[in-house]
Amino acid sequence: MKTWVKIVVGLVVVGLIAMLLVYKFVYNKQHPDYEKAEAAFTVSARELYQAYKSNKAAASAKYNGKVIAITGNLSKVETVDSLVTAVFVFNQGDFGDEGIRCTMLHKFNDAANKLQPDGEVKVKGYCTGYNETDLILEKCSIINQ
Amino acid sequence: MRIKSIFLSLLLLTALSAGAQKYITKTGYIKFYSASPLEKIEAHNRQVNSVLDLATGGFVFKVLMKSFEFEKALMQEHFNENYVESDKYPTATFVGKVINIKDVNALKDGIYDVNVEGKLTLHGVSQDVKEKGTFEMKQGKFIGKAKFNIAVGDYKITIPGNVGNNISKTIEVTVDITLDKANM
Repeated sequence: MKTWVKIVVGLVVVGLIAMLLVYKFVYNKQHPDYEKAEAAFTVSARELYQAYKSNKAAASAKYNGKVIAITGNLSKVETVDSLVTAVFVFNQGDFGDEGIRCTMLHKFNDAANKLQPDGEVKVKGYCTGYNETDLILEKCSIINQ
Repeated sequence: MRIKSIFLSLLLLTALSAGAQKYITKTGYIKFYSASPLEKIEAHNRQVNSVLDLATGGFVFKVLMKSFEFEKALMQEHFNENYVESDKYPTATFVGKVINIKDVNALKDGIYDVNVEGKLTLHGVSQDVKEKGTFEMKQGKFIGKAKFNIAVGDYKITIPGNVGNNISKTIEVTVDITLDKANM
């Protein structure tokens, strides 16, 4: 085979591999695995809620978009369709109960439903922010029971 | 004396029923959808807060931008970082009114057409909006549904040129909420 043919074939192969890698790891990259993700912060549920309540801007800058592990006394577990939410209530307002709402990863739905209100639980999830009534953690997993 | 006590109990009753006229949800659903020749983009948010005051028609939505879920992680990143800048503007809100709330009979199951007007704040920009939707009364709950378009330019959301063709300039928003009587 002529040298220039080898070079062209080589370049095409490298180009194809690069395209595949970009497709797999950039364009089509996976969502983070929130169950395995390391928590950026570990705090008590009450402290976290108070942080948002007393200074929303500072708390948002610190915690929004982060994976956070919280420990607290569970108030209740709510189920709407396939969405199971573990709720820590700290306040009462226009929307009724206010606090931290943790929506579970589907695989933790059953475990969350078995949690006892008033028991201490540790939950880890992705913090999407405070909507003036509740702090929302999503993709939550239960760390211990 | 008797008349006075009757009057007082009537007053108390009215006050109680007025207080019980708020309907809320914390798990409302909003979807947006953008179709373009190259790609369709869809995002779902199941954490929508909404409250309806049946007495005044007052209607409020609060939406956390980071709660929108995309099929592709890259799209979600672009959406949060480049388009809606969710670190700077974490929430979108709608504060308005159901203009014809008097047409809705909360005690009678059925589907009612409603007109909603108010201010939508997204990406730090507020715009007056006027949309139509429906309320379905079902066993004492309001099931609110609406579908409308918003132009991203109205909210100063800029889409870079190289991906501009992949994302259409208007986005279709679908709202589906079930409002339940507030226990207060």
